[in-house]
Amino acid sequence: MPCNTCVTKPKPTEMKDFSSKNIFTWCTNCGNYGINAAVKRALVSLDIKPCETITCFDIGCNGNGSDKIGGYSFHGLHGRVIPLACGVTLANTENKVIAFGGDGGTLGEGIGHLVHGVRGNYNITFILHNNLNYGLTKGQASPTTKKDMKMNSSPDGQTSENLHPVRFVLSLESTFVARTFSGDVKHMEYVFKQAINHPGFSFVEVLQSCPTYNKQTPHEWYQERVYDVSTIEGYDTNNRVQALEAGEDILEKIAIGVLYQDKKSIPQIQRQFNRTEIKTQLVEETNQYPIENLLKKFM
Amino acid sequence: MNYQHRFVIKVTGESGMGVNSVGEILAKSLKNSGMYVFAYREYPSLIKGGYASYQLDISDKKINSSSSECDILLSFSRLSLHKYLKSLRKGGTVIHSVIKVIFTQEENEIIANRELTVVYVPAREMAITIGGNKIMANTVMLGAVWQAMNLDLSKLKQMIESQFANKPNVIPGNIKCLEAGFIQNLGDISKSNLGLGKTDNFTDDLLLTGNHAISLGAVSAGVRAFYAYPMTPSSSILSYLSTITHETGMLVKQIEDEISVANMAIGSMFAGARTMIATAGGGFDLMTETVSLSAITETPFMCVIAQRPGPATGLPTWTSSSDLNIAVYAGHGEYTRLVLAASDIESCYLLTQVGLNFAEKYQIPVLLLTEKQIAESFFQVDKMPEAIEIQRHIISDQEAQNVKSEDRFAVTESGISPRWLPGQSESVYKANSDEHTGDGSLTEEADLAWAMYNKRLRKEDTLLQELPEPIVYGDSNPDISFVGWGSVKNTILDVIDCLSEFTDKKIAYIHYEYVYPIKTKAFKDFAKNSKRLVLIENNATGQLGQIITAKTEIPFWEKLLKCDGRPFFIEDIIEFILGGEENAM
Repeated sequence: MPCNTCVTKPKPTEMKDFSSKNIFTWCTNCGNYGINAAVKRALVSLDIKPCETITCFDIGCNGNGSDKIGGYSFHGLHGRVIPLACGVTLANTENKVIAFGGDGGTLGEGIGHLVHGVRGNYNITFILHNNLNYGLTKGQASPTTKKDMKMNSSPDGQTSENLHPVRFVLSLESTFVARTFSGDVKHMEYVFKQAINHPGFSFVEVLQSCPTYNKQTPHEWYQERVYDVSTIEGYDTNNRVQALEAGEDILEKIAIGVLYQDKKSIPQIQRQFNRTEIKTQLVEETNQYPIENLLKKFM
Repeated sequence: MNYQHRFVIKVTGESGMGVNSVGEILAKSLKNSGMYVFAYREYPSLIKGGYASYQLDISDKKINSSSSECDILLSFSRLSLHKYLKSLRKGGTVIHSVIKVIFTQEENEIIANRELTVVYVPAREMAITIGGNKIMANTVMLGAVWQAMNLDLSKLKQMIESQFANKPNVIPGNIKCLEAGFIQNLGDISKSNLGLGKTDNFTDDLLLTGNHAISLGAVSAGVRAFYAYPMTPSSSILSYLSTITHETGMLVKQIEDEISVANMAIGSMFAGARTMIATAGGGFDLMTETVSLSAITETPFMCVIAQRPGPATGLPTWTSSSDLNIAVYAGHGEYTRLVLAASDIESCYLLTQVGLNFAEKYQIPVLLLTEKQIAESFFQVDKMPEAIEIQRHIISDQEAQNVKSEDRFAVTESGISPRWLPGQSESVYKANSDEHTGDGSLTEEADLAWAMYNKRLRKEDTLLQELPEPIVYGDSNPDISFVGWGSVKNTILDVIDCLSEFTDKKIAYIHYEYVYPIKTKAFKDFAKNSKRLVLIENNATGQLGQIITAKTEIPFWEKLLKCDGRPFFIEDIIEFILGGEENAM
C-alpha cells in the first residue's frame, strides 16, 4: 500500500531510498552484505516503494540486518519469522513481504513453520541464509552442518545427518523453489526478483559464506561449484522431478537459479471461500459489524 | 436443599448418545415456555462412551449458575444412571431407558431415604415400533420428561420441527415418538409441580454460551482475522466464527500450532488488521514468548484464554480459574499488560471489545480470561448489550504526513507513542524485538535502553488511571464479604438472590473484572467494612488473593477454594455461609 507521498508525488525508486543510517555490524566478507545489496537492487529494479515493503527478520546474523534496509520491517523471534510474515501478508496483500531466516532458526527451532508456510502458500518471499552454522552464538552446528564436522559445542564432531533444504522444500508441494549464492549479487538480484513476483510462498536458499565460523566452504569453494540451471539443456522449471534431480548435488556441482515454479500458484488469501467477492484488504475493514442477524440463531 | 425458584433436570448418558442435542432442545423449549434457563455440561475427554450430563437449572427469574442436585434425572445409559443417581434431591424423579437395571443396596437406600420415584421407559422399543428407527429413542424420552414437568407439549413440538427443518422426512416419526413419550404411563409418578411462579414470555430471549458472546464481541469490534489451534474449552470460538464467515467476511483460520497463531496475530496486527486469537492454558504456555514480543515491539495483541484445570493436560473438559498467574506473569522481561476476566454473556461480549480498544490504544498484550464454565455453558439473556465504539488510536493519514520515523516509539510521559500503519507514511519504522531507538533501530546504549524500558512500563501507570474499580454487589452491612473473579460471580449473585430462604445472614461480594494491573481502592473500603473477609476462587492457591495481598498488605484468613474441575455450585456457597467459620480452609 503506497503512502500518500508516493501517490501524490510519484517518482522511480532509487537505491538510496532503501539505504539506512545504521552501520553494518557483520564480519568482513560476510555473505550478508551481498544479500542486503541484492535485495535492495531487486526492489529498486521492480520499482517497489519503501512504504509498501515489509521485511521480516528472524533472530541471528541475518536479523542484525533488520535495521540496515529501508522500508517497514519487523524483527521477530528466533525461528518464528515465517508465521509472522504470513500474518503480515494476510492483512494486506498490497504490501511486498520478504522474510529472512537463517539455517538454525528456519530448519531447527522453526522447521514446523516452514512446512506449514509452504503448504499454505502464503504470499511471501522467504530467503534462507544458509551458512551451515549458528553464527551469532559463535559457530555451533546447525541442521545443515555436515555430520562429523567439529563445531563449537560439538568438539568431537556433530553426530546428526545434515538436512538438504531444497530437497526438503521440494517435497512439500511448494510453488517456488530457488537457490542462489551470496557471492554473486547479480544472480541473487535475478532470483529475488522472480521470487518477489511469484504469487505464493517463494523459497530461496542462499548458499552463504561465513568467513568466521565456516572455513570448510568459503566463498571460493562455492564459486568453483555453482552453475545456473538454465544452462541445463531443456530444463523445465515446471517439473518437480527435474528440480529434485538438479538440486540434489550440494557437494560437487551445485545448481543455482529458479529450480521450480508452479505457474498456476494460488496464494493463501485467494483460497478463502468467503472472501472471493471482497475487493478490500483486511486492514481496511475494521468497522462495527452488526450482530442482529446472527442473534436469530440463539432465540 | 430445596429452592423456591429453582428446578433442575439433569440429562445423562454416554458421550455420543445425543445428550447435548436433548439438552439443547430442552433448554430452548423451556425458554420458549416462559422460563429462565441455565445449562451446564459435564463430559469426558473422549468421543464415545464414559458418562456425560447436560444440566438445566430452571427458574422464573434470572439464574446464571448450577445446583449440585437435581429434581429430575433423565438417563439414557447404565453407567450414567448409577453415576448420577446420588445427585437427586429428596422427592426427585428418575426417568431412564436402561433395560434390567439392578441397583446396589446403597443405591436402594438412597432411593428409599430420599423418597425417589424411578420410572423405566422402553424408549428404544417404542422408537422402533412407533417411529421406525431406534435413533428416535431420545425423542421418546423428551416426551416423557415433558410429561413429568406437566408442560404444554406445543413448544417442544415446535422445537423438534425446527430442529429437523432440513430433514423434513424424519419430522413425522419424531413427533409421533414425542407424543408417545408424552402420554406414556409413568406409573405412580406425581407430575412435578415445578414450583415456579408465573412467568412472562421469554420467547425472544437469547440462549448462548460465553464463547458465542466472545465471538459476537469480536464481530462488533471489527476483528478481521481470527487465528486459533483447537483446544478445549476455547475451540467453539473457532468453530462458531468459522460458521459465520460468509456473513462477516472475517478471515477465520485454523493454524498448525499456538506459536504460529500468536506470531501470525502479531504480523496481522502490525500490518493493521484487527486480529484476535483464543486458546486454553496449555496453548497459551506456548505463546508466552510472543506475548513478550508484543510488549517490546508495541504491537497490539489480544488473546482469549479459556481456563481448564492443569497442570499439563489436567482435566481437559472441566472448569477452573487457575491460569490467572500465567496471564499476569507470562513472558520474559518486565512490561505492561492488561488482564481481563469475563464471567457472563455481557462481560464476554463487552470485554472482548474493550480489550481490543485497550490493546490498540496502549499497544500492549491484552489477555481475556474465561473458564470452561463460562465458555461452554448456555446462559439466557433478554438482549445483548450495546456494542462499544471502536477506538484504534491510529493517527490520521493527515497526521501521518508529518511524523518522523523516530516518533513511532518516542519516549513519552504516558508511555504511549503515536502509531501509524505500514504504508500509511513515507516515514518508515522498524518493529524490533531487540531494544531499540524511536524508529526501531537496534541499540545497546545504556541510557537509551533504560529510557525505552521505562517508557513501556509507564503505560501501566497511565492504564491504571483509566481502569475501573471492581464492582461491589450485595448488602451494605454484610456478615460475610466475598472477594472473587470469573464465574464465581454468577453463583454468588444467585446465592444472594435466594439466601433469605435459608438464613438472615447478609453477604456482599466484590468482583474483579479488570484483574491486572489491579485497582485496590474499592477493595480497601470493602475490606474495612467487612466482618468476615472471604476469598473465593476456583483454584487451589487463591491467585487473585495473592495479588491483592501483595499490593494492599491485607491478608485473607478465610478462603473458599475449589480445584476439582467443577464450578462453584450454589450449595457450595450456601453451606459455607450456614456452616460458619469451621468450614474455612
